[in-house]
Order: sequence, then structure tokens, then C-alpha cells
Amino acid sequence: MNKERSKVIIIVLNILLGMLWIMPIYWAVVTSVKTQKELYGGISLIPHVVTPENYVSLFQYKDGIFFFYLKNSFQICVLTMLLVTVVSVLAGFAFSKLKIWGVKIWTAMILFTIMVPAQALMVPLYNTLSDLNLLGTVWGMVLIYVTFQTPFCVLMMKSSFDMVPNALREAALMDGASSLEIFWNIYCPLALPGAITVIVYAAYNTWNDYTIGLTFGGSSMKTFNVGLVDMLSADTTVNWGTLTSGAIVGMLPILILFLLLQKHFVKGMMSGAVK
Amino acid sequence: MKKKNWTNMFFVLPLLVINITFFVVPFVKSLYMSLYDWPLLGEKTFIGIQNFIRAFVDKKFLHSLLFTMEYALIVTPMLFLVAFVMAILVNQKFRGVGIFRTIYFMPVVISMTASADIWLWIYNELYGVLNHILLAVGIVDKPVAWMHLPKTSLPAVCAMVTWKMAGFSMLMLLGAFQSVDEEVYQSASIDGASKIQQFFRITLPLIRPTIGLSMVISIIGSVLAFEQFKIMTAGGPSSKTQTAVYYIYQTSFGHFKFGYGAAMSMILLVILAVLSYFQFAVMKDKTE
Repeated sequence: MNKERSKVIIIVLNILLGMLWIMPIYWAVVTSVKTQKELYGGISLIPHVVTPENYVSLFQYKDGIFFFYLKNSFQICVLTMLLVTVVSVLAGFAFSKLKIWGVKIWTAMILFTIMVPAQALMVPLYNTLSDLNLLGTVWGMVLIYVTFQTPFCVLMMKSSFDMVPNALREAALMDGASSLEIFWNIYCPLALPGAITVIVYAAYNTWNDYTIGLTFGGSSMKTFNVGLVDMLSADTTVNWGTLTSGAIVGMLPILILFLLLQKHFVKGMMSGAVK
Repeated sequence: MKKKNWTNMFFVLPLLVINITFFVVPFVKSLYMSLYDWPLLGEKTFIGIQNFIRAFVDKKFLHSLLFTMEYALIVTPMLFLVAFVMAILVNQKFRGVGIFRTIYFMPVVISMTASADIWLWIYNELYGVLNHILLAVGIVDKPVAWMHLPKTSLPAVCAMVTWKMAGFSMLMLLGAFQSVDEEVYQSASIDGASKIQQFFRITLPLIRPTIGLSMVISIIGSVLAFEQFKIMTAGGPSSKTQTAVYYIYQTSFGHFKFGYGAAMSMILLVILAVLSYFQFAVMKDKTE
């Protein structure tokens, strides 16, 4: 009997805390579909009228500049995901299965990169990008994201390739397969789960970034997040309907990805932080 | 089986080129720049360690360091306590427990920008839901301007960050809870230990390394705090809520004092190195 009671208490507490935790997101969602009048007239948990007007005004803001921001964010994010995956699959494979020159130096180098956050190198990075004429360009930003994401992803891929037994490779070699064929046909499919974690990790870190976008994007490559904060700080009277609809649009892609690939998401983030 | 082969280098070449260009070179450059008076345009002059001397007497920089520390010391225990309660609540067997784990983790997934925007709306002086509730319940008699004074804005930002990040520490602690062998509890029960005794005598000592690790991770994250204050308080009023990274950002890209910005970044890196040392120490503790 006692056991049943403590179980009920646990569930009730979960429901209360869960409601509190979901509330801010719920509140943003209902705010974003309320009319201006209802928005500023007291608090209503369920909107009387549901209207898309805030979303319309978000995309009409400054002649549709948020389309431009979204396009930038998507472009940067997709290219970063691709490049991070290619670079870390190749390097992870080499670290795990091939004999390469200077492997100790390269390992030390990526371990060191993991320990230094991008925030501590903003000044010289700005200088480097400026020397290479990459400030405010897609590739400038992509390369910075790739630099700070790949070290962890290489380690992640290395451990996925480590789990593939060498016997497979030997058997394929006996059958006369070339090393490229072995890499492509045998190892890549087996390392796919690791690669998905890497892709999700890159998507999360790039899509959600603000600081790097702010510093290196300039006005020509503003990302969605930077544009959103711009709108917040530029206007003397913030339109909260527009702003919350912006927050919703910004969080939707990554939330969907999370709900679809929860396991990979959690794995990437947890091992990414602990390293 | 492994054969040293120059073509193998092609596999690591992309990594090396990118890492050297955008990490190794900038890192070395950062040491070099910190010894210069380095404006955006115009003459760069070598000034030795003067930037570092200046940092140690720069009241604004010292204040930003102190404020960062204050923030870290408030947010870390706050976040940990909430995460700890959460981890206990979801370390149970009942149908639908996964839904609660997902709900608690959801704020971790969204960006700091989106969270800060949402919470600014909640904290809004005139129309915010928080003031509405506090007024209705009678805790305050006039609307609070949360973001106007550090006295209220610092706890308000901490609450937002707790909401955003607690799910993360929760998962770390949950992992630790679940790694404790079920048999240990069984034999303790046979010996007559109550659930509460088991918790304090068995669970807590066993998960102590994870507690340490989650705290160090949270402190390192707080030392790098920037976005939450940039968006929510803009460092105001009069730079009172400016964190170290924020001040470095403003010095470097607002006033374009690159040399001084690089020198302060170096000081920050030393602080982070000390904290990372602690992280390795607790992680070593954990694997033993």
C-alpha cells in the first residue's frame, strides 16, 4: 500500500513539474497566435481567436528580411553538417584503421582544440577571416563552425570505426577488394549510427549558435538568431507577437529533429559536453 | 595489417588543413596580438605585457570577472538542485516516465536566443505573465521591472538558464543513478536499511563523481556566459551585468581594441585551464 502511495506522489510531482517546464514554450506558442488586442489585454491561457497575423508580420518585417535570415541559417547549417560529417568520417577512419604519419601530434592537436572554446579566440579568428577575405561570407562561418565541431566528431567516428572488427577488412582484402571499396562498402555502412550522431551534433550546434554568427556574419550573413535579437534590440517598442512567433520558427526545425532522433541527439550532446 | 602509406594522409588532410588554419594559427596569433596595441585600422605597436598589466587594473574588466563569478556561484547550485530533484523523479518505473524525461530535456534543445526571448516576454514589466501572477496573488503590489536592476535581473537570468539547462544535468545524474547495481540495494534491504538510509549511504557516495562532474561542467559554461546577458539585459544598467566574455566582446568588436581583447582572452583561457584541470580530476575519480 505504502509503495503505491509513494508512486502516486512521484507521478503527481512529475505532472506538476512537467507542466511548469512546458509552460514557457506553451506560452510562447499561444502568444504567437493571439491577436494584438488579446496579447496586451491580460493573460488568457487559451487564445479566443487564433490568428496567423504575427507570423505574417514576422515575414513582412523590413520587406521580408527574415526569409533572408532563414535562408542564411539553412545554408550555413547544411554546409556545416556536410563538411563536419565528411571531415570527421575520413579522419575518424584514418585514426582508427590506418597507419598515418604523426598520429600522436594530430591527436594531441584535436584534444587541445576541444579544450579551447571559440569564445576565447574571437579576436584572432576575426583577424584570420579578414586576412582570407572570408568575413561575412557563408564559407567563413561554415569553416569556423567546422573547426570547433570536428575534433569531438572525429573522436566519435574513431570509436565507431573501432567497433568494426578488422577481420571484415581482411576477408574483403582476400576477395580482392580495393581499400577505397573496403572503406565505402564495408566500413561506412557500419559506422552510420555514429555518423548520424555527428550530423545531429553539428545541426544542433550550428542552428542554435548566436555568438559566432554575431561576430563573423556581419550584415551580409546574418543568421536567424542574430536577426531575431536585432529586432528585439533595434525597436523601441518590441512587438511581442512578432518576436514570439520568431522564437517559435527558430526552435521548430531543431525540436523536430530532436523528437525524430532523440537517442542520437542525447548521445551527441552528453558525450560532447563530457568529452 | 597496418601499412604506412602516404595516400593514407589524404584521409586526415581536410581535418589538418582546417584545424591548422582556423585553430592553431589563430591560437598562436592570439598570443602575438596580445603583446600589441592593435587597432582595426592604422599602426600596430609592440607594447610588451602592457595589455596584461592594464587588464589587472581595469576596473571594468575586474568587475566583469567578479560578476561572472557571482553568476556562476548562483546558477550552478540552483541548476544542480533542480536537476537532482528531476533525476529522482524520473528514475522511477511507471508508464509514461519517458514523456517527462523528454519534457525536461526539451529546453536544452532550443537555442539560448529563443529561450531568452520567451523569458523576456514572461518577465515583461507591463504585460508579462509573471507580474500578472505575482500581482494577483499579492506577492508584489506593483509590477516589477525585472531587467532594470541587477538585484532582480541576475536571479531572473539564472532562473531562465536553470529552466534551459536542468534537463542536461538531469540526464547525467539519471545515468549515474541507473549505473548503481540493483543487487547492492537488495542486500542493503535484507540488512534492514531503509530507503532513505540507502539513498544517503549507498547512492550518494557512489554517484559523487558525477555530481562533481556536472557541477564543473556548469561552472565552465557559466564562465563563458555571454548570450543570455547580451540578449536579456544588454549588460545594463551601466555595464553592471556584463560578463567577462561580454566585456571582451565589446572591447574587441565595439571599440576594436584587438590587442587588449586578445590579452583578456588569454587571461580567460588560464581560468578555463584551471577549471578543466578540475574536470579531469573529477573524471579520473569517476573512472577509478
